[in-house]
Amino acid sequence: MALDKLTGENSMVFIRAEQLLDLARKNSLFYLSFGIACCAIEGLMSAGGPRFDYDRFGIFHRGSPRQCDVMIVAGTVNKKMAPVVKRLYDQMPEPKWVIAMGACACTGGPFREYPNVIMGVDQVIPVDIFVPGCPPRPESMQYAFMQLQDKIAARTQERIDAR
Amino acid sequence: MPASAHETLLRDAAVVHTSETELLGTVVRLDCVNVRPALGALAAGGFDQLVDMFATDTGEAIELTYHLRAFSGFETLFVKCTVEYDGELVSVWDIYPAALFPEREAAELLGMSLTGHPNPKRLLTVEGTEPLLRKSVAIRGAQEVQFS
Amino acid sequence: MSDVRLDVSRQPGPRWVLPKGLRRVPEGLDELATEHLILNMGPQHPSTHGVLHVLLELDGEEVQAAEASVGYLHRGIEKLAESRKYHQVGTLLDRADYLAGLHTETAFALAVERLAGIEVPRKADWIRSLTMELCRLASHVVWAGTFGMDAGAMAPFLYIMRDREALLDILEAITGGRMMFNYVRPGGVFADLPAGVDTKIRAFLDVFDTYLEETDALLGGNEIFQARIKNVGVISRDTAMAFGLAGGTMRASGIDFDVRRDMPYAAYTELDFDVPVASGGDCWDRYVVRMEEMRQSVRMIRQLVDGMPEGDFTAKVPKVLRPPAGEMYAAVESPRGELGIHLVSDGGPTPYRMRLRSPAYYNLAITDEAIAGSLIADAVVIIGSLDIVLGEIDR
Repeated sequence: MALDKLTGENSMVFIRAEQLLDLARKNSLFYLSFGIACCAIEGLMSAGGPRFDYDRFGIFHRGSPRQCDVMIVAGTVNKKMAPVVKRLYDQMPEPKWVIAMGACACTGGPFREYPNVIMGVDQVIPVDIFVPGCPPRPESMQYAFMQLQDKIAARTQERIDAR
Repeated sequence: MPASAHETLLRDAAVVHTSETELLGTVVRLDCVNVRPALGALAAGGFDQLVDMFATDTGEAIELTYHLRAFSGFETLFVKCTVEYDGELVSVWDIYPAALFPEREAAELLGMSLTGHPNPKRLLTVEGTEPLLRKSVAIRGAQEVQFS
Repeated sequence: MSDVRLDVSRQPGPRWVLPKGLRRVPEGLDELATEHLILNMGPQHPSTHGVLHVLLELDGEEVQAAEASVGYLHRGIEKLAESRKYHQVGTLLDRADYLAGLHTETAFALAVERLAGIEVPRKADWIRSLTMELCRLASHVVWAGTFGMDAGAMAPFLYIMRDREALLDILEAITGGRMMFNYVRPGGVFADLPAGVDTKIRAFLDVFDTYLEETDALLGGNEIFQARIKNVGVISRDTAMAFGLAGGTMRASGIDFDVRRDMPYAAYTELDFDVPVASGGDCWDRYVVRMEEMRQSVRMIRQLVDGMPEGDFTAKVPKVLRPPAGEMYAAVESPRGELGIHLVSDGGPTPYRMRLRSPAYYNLAITDEAIAGSLIADAVVIIGSLDIVLGEIDR
């Protein structure tokens, strides 16, 4: 009803298809509930909890990778886990984004000296946002999602220019 | 349970061992062939809990430690034996089922072969990984972990 | 369908009883040949509490056999501890059991202190106990929320997150961190209690009493939740002893052991508390035991805050600790059970071998025993009731 006051009666809104789709995408990012390690408690559970609240951004967790846009890699990826991460990434439909949360997912973290640990999940899948911290505070994760939304919005202009 | 109960149990089972009291507690050292009869006697005689089982690389061989506890009275006992590198780890799962997971892990991370175990697969790492907990296997150096 | 009875009593046997007519098998169906299906539960699964992979062999909905496959989080904490100085090992151990970092740090500090003969001042002991009990509350509420989610209750999780945020505020005021505390060091603790934190704690405890009863009413008072978890996953006392179970899982099967009472450390000799023990061994008993542990923790925190002594918060320890050569084992009661550190020192500045005896590691081995014979939905609930944290299982 408030929007009607903004636009007046019998008005029409014109928007480019790319802008509309990217607006929809960035305001309803669904992430895969895939908590590998300690970062999952902060960035997936606490950040979605009542104090920090992901839902106001439109962010929600889904159980199946087929229904997700974002994969938050929250934890250390080791040699046994890497094929699993790759398979889950492949199962996500396009367009998809990856947030590497925490020092372990960015570069291997405090465990990077161990031969079984992969130094950063970007060696397995392409990453869009790197979030430093061990663990990053829930506010950092929300800022990361805001950065991701900006990245999606910036991509809109590229798509328009590419036409 | 009297303090030297484990002595009586082991003597009754005719197991050759040496027993000392160190800062850690009571440590019983024996040969690997005697581990099964010794643990069987101790389990039957009141040491009913296997608190922990792990292996250490001493530089010359692998030392296995079984940390036992008698639940009533909370007596603790450490049983140690030595296995050579790539030697055989004989499972005691039928005496203490708690040893199922730790034996797989010790055999995998220190490079021993596991016998008498119902599921002797690797527990923590993928096929082809070297025995990571040995002193001869080094962790990544400062050059390798540099962010380039 | 109106004839279906919900049997919430403790009698053995089927819990759902269908009328005779509905159990009739259509013609020819009883001669159908069926195969067992091997299903992967995890490592990505909304309710495996971390990257746990359970292979289930299913006959329809019933689990015939289950095998837990771990190692997806094996990060080499034990190996890396061999190249860290004693003061640096705490950062690794925080990340082992990430819901109870203070307990792991305290176990290590106790092992080092007993080996090196360091005497910890009384105030440091009391601060350690206070922060450990707060951490225990924080861990148990997460367990309660995720256990509720396993059984399908989505709302209590958000309620406990509110309580956990309040607890983490207090812990952050004391230790500086929300989850990776790095606070308990060999010799004492890192910093003194800030001024005014006792008022904060008392205010929190007054509210938390009602919040705890609210969570208990939401979960335990819910008839559906009770039907989901009563008589599910029964672990007998002998099985619990043989498999070396620990913590609430063990106490729910009738074994009366608590490291705080029986092998005391820190300030627990001077505190007044009870240890809840149940005898049924099913998921309901594990739930009840942990709820009661939370109430006892609240009781202990009140005593700790009221009786906090004056004094130093740490003993004087050298910058580079070199404990004498030898071995030492020290155990604490973490929210999951007896957490022990077996430290082997060779006299140098870094540990020679550090073994983390994690309670969840031994609790997990019961998976096959406890799950075989139940339905898939029960398998999820049973794994949830064991209270596992993969960080300390895989180390």
